Amino acid sequence: MVAPMKWLWRSTPMRMALALVVLFTCVSLLSLGGAFYVIRTSIEETIRTSLTQDLAGFRAAPTAGALATLVAAEAEAIDPATRILSYRSRDGRHFGNGLIVQSQNGFEVVTPGNNPSPVGGEFLALSAVIHGGRLTLATNLQQTWDLRETFRNILLMSLLPTGTITLLSGMVIARRSGRRIEALEGTLDKLTSGDLSARTPEMPGRLDDLSNIAARVDRMAQAQQTSVSVLKQVSADIAHDLKTPIQRVAVLLNRLRETGGLSAQAAQIVAQAGAETDGIVTTFQALLQIAQIEGGSPKSRFAPVDLGRLGADFVEVYGPAAEDSDHRLSFTAPPGPAVVSGDKGLLGQVFANLIENALRHTPPDSAIEVRVEPVDDTVRLSVRDTGPGIPEAERANVLRRLYRLEQSRSTQGSGLGLSLVRVVAQLHDARLELGDGIVPEKPADQKGLRVSLTFPAL
Amino acid sequence: MKLLVIEDDKTTGDYIAQGLREEGHAVDLVPDGRAGLIQATTCAYDVAIIDRMLPGLDGLSLIKTLRGAKNNLPVLFLTSMGGVDDRIDGLTAGGDDYLVKPFAFGELSARVAALARRPQIKEEAIVLKAGSLSLDLIRRRAVRDDVEIDLLPREFALLEHLMRRKGRGQTRTMLLEAIWDISFDPQTNVVETHVSRLRAKIDKPFATELIKTVRGAGYRIED
Repeated sequence: MVAPMKWLWRSTPMRMALALVVLFTCVSLLSLGGAFYVIRTSIEETIRTSLTQDLAGFRAAPTAGALATLVAAEAEAIDPATRILSYRSRDGRHFGNGLIVQSQNGFEVVTPGNNPSPVGGEFLALSAVIHGGRLTLATNLQQTWDLRETFRNILLMSLLPTGTITLLSGMVIARRSGRRIEALEGTLDKLTSGDLSARTPEMPGRLDDLSNIAARVDRMAQAQQTSVSVLKQVSADIAHDLKTPIQRVAVLLNRLRETGGLSAQAAQIVAQAGAETDGIVTTFQALLQIAQIEGGSPKSRFAPVDLGRLGADFVEVYGPAAEDSDHRLSFTAPPGPAVVSGDKGLLGQVFANLIENALRHTPPDSAIEVRVEPVDDTVRLSVRDTGPGIPEAERANVLRRLYRLEQSRSTQGSGLGLSLVRVVAQLHDARLELGDGIVPEKPADQKGLRVSLTFPAL
Repeated sequence: MKLLVIEDDKTTGDYIAQGLREEGHAVDLVPDGRAGLIQATTCAYDVAIIDRMLPGLDGLSLIKTLRGAKNNLPVLFLTSMGGVDDRIDGLTAGGDDYLVKPFAFGELSARVAALARRPQIKEEAIVLKAGSLSLDLIRRRAVRDDVEIDLLPREFALLEHLMRRKGRGQTRTMLLEAIWDISFDPQTNVVETHVSRLRAKIDKPFATELIKTVRGAGYRIED
């Protein structure tokens, strides 16, 4: 039940209904409270006036004795719970149907006699000294209590049904629009994850702002899909139109080689030309792949990938090559799986590119350390080396397509390895960082390189 | 074997057809998708080599139509694109293998051979033999001339792959795909380094060489 409650609370109609209920309650409380205050004041005023008049009446008694008799006679017929008459004469004798005594809770009304018992209720009392004694008249404020009760009932009777009806209708509207919003959200999720064929489902109900938004989302997706398919078609055309002649060149060079009778020098030139066409193809292929990934490679092929195992595989693949070129290639991974959501092929290519980069740009006897480690809620893949590193100012540049450092112009490579790593990182929402590698003891100007990708863990 | 090549580029098509004919195959070359589909359904071929971008009917639709008609002629796709998506599109449409242009002829030839002939050695085989080398798949043991050879798991897998396809060339990319599940082209000679490690163990100490280098493309194990 927790999840639906959360969902209800987050829906706009429900929030508006709640706000309405709160507003209505406040207004009702204010107006009813005001009315109650005015009426109560007026009742108390009436009581006070009547008490004052009564006091004046008693004042008319000629002597203390007469007053005492009058009080006692009148008190006889009056219930102390509604009205109290009390006269204490100068000599301390008491007449009347009640006494006002001071207790620790303030003043209290008690019955007269030997066993005084408290009389409940709130009283308004007036007192005056007449003929040397004190006359106190008090009237129970039961009326104002009744009034309070009445007002509370009015408040409940008006608030409860209004609140319930507003909240219920809020819930109904929230549920109805919630389903449609959910459908919209689902479509948007699919679109952002690369499924451009996703459209909002047919929604029942009137034409309103929600169905307008849905129609616009569909139109946007349609436009996106068209432009992506045009882009794909264009790059497919370019690829076809360029690769077919490259294929022809490769074929022609092959024929030339097979013709025989070539001088050693000519054969060498043919071999060189062949290697160059291979280079063109490699660069071309890499550019095409980067463009494809950037152009929105679908995440639909994403699956859980254990980076630890994948890294171990690639370190094993490159192990003998690293040994042959005198590099010390090592691998560290956590004992358990380090799983991220991703495209296994592309992630493998990241390992391959980073290891190849390190092999290519570090001198023999350099150490290359591949590491996969969980860090908080992430999985970090890093490749560190003891090579010359990349100056800090150049680090952003090397991620650009075809950019190569001056110092590495002479080495092999297309200048696309790190660009591919960058777009694959982007596709996987991974943070790509370049930093100092393993700093060797000498020479001091060598800082090494560390390339790390931090993935959100699955 | 009887092979069908559907390729619109004349130079590439002629090159493929000529190369395959020189290897002793009968080759029909068709430059158009629609004509190719008719040819593929009317004659019996061992393998078809189909370009993905064709006039008339593109390669993907052609193979889908073919598979829709329950025709399971082995198909090797040729493509200019070579992105992961294209590869998977091609394979899910019903292609059996996939080759990115430009390719070396040796690669094409090895892949055609692999498509046509299913592994001759049955999957249930327990011991594979090549010359004096025997590979026990259950006990994971390699023995040559009564000498037991220590192999790493990947070396064993590589040797098993080659021995199951005895006599047939396996290119670097085919080995990368089969042994390491890598479908891109590494810029380092990783396959060579692994094969040379394997050779150092199973060939170097002995009189004859079992793993042969196939000109231009890959490796082959022979008796």
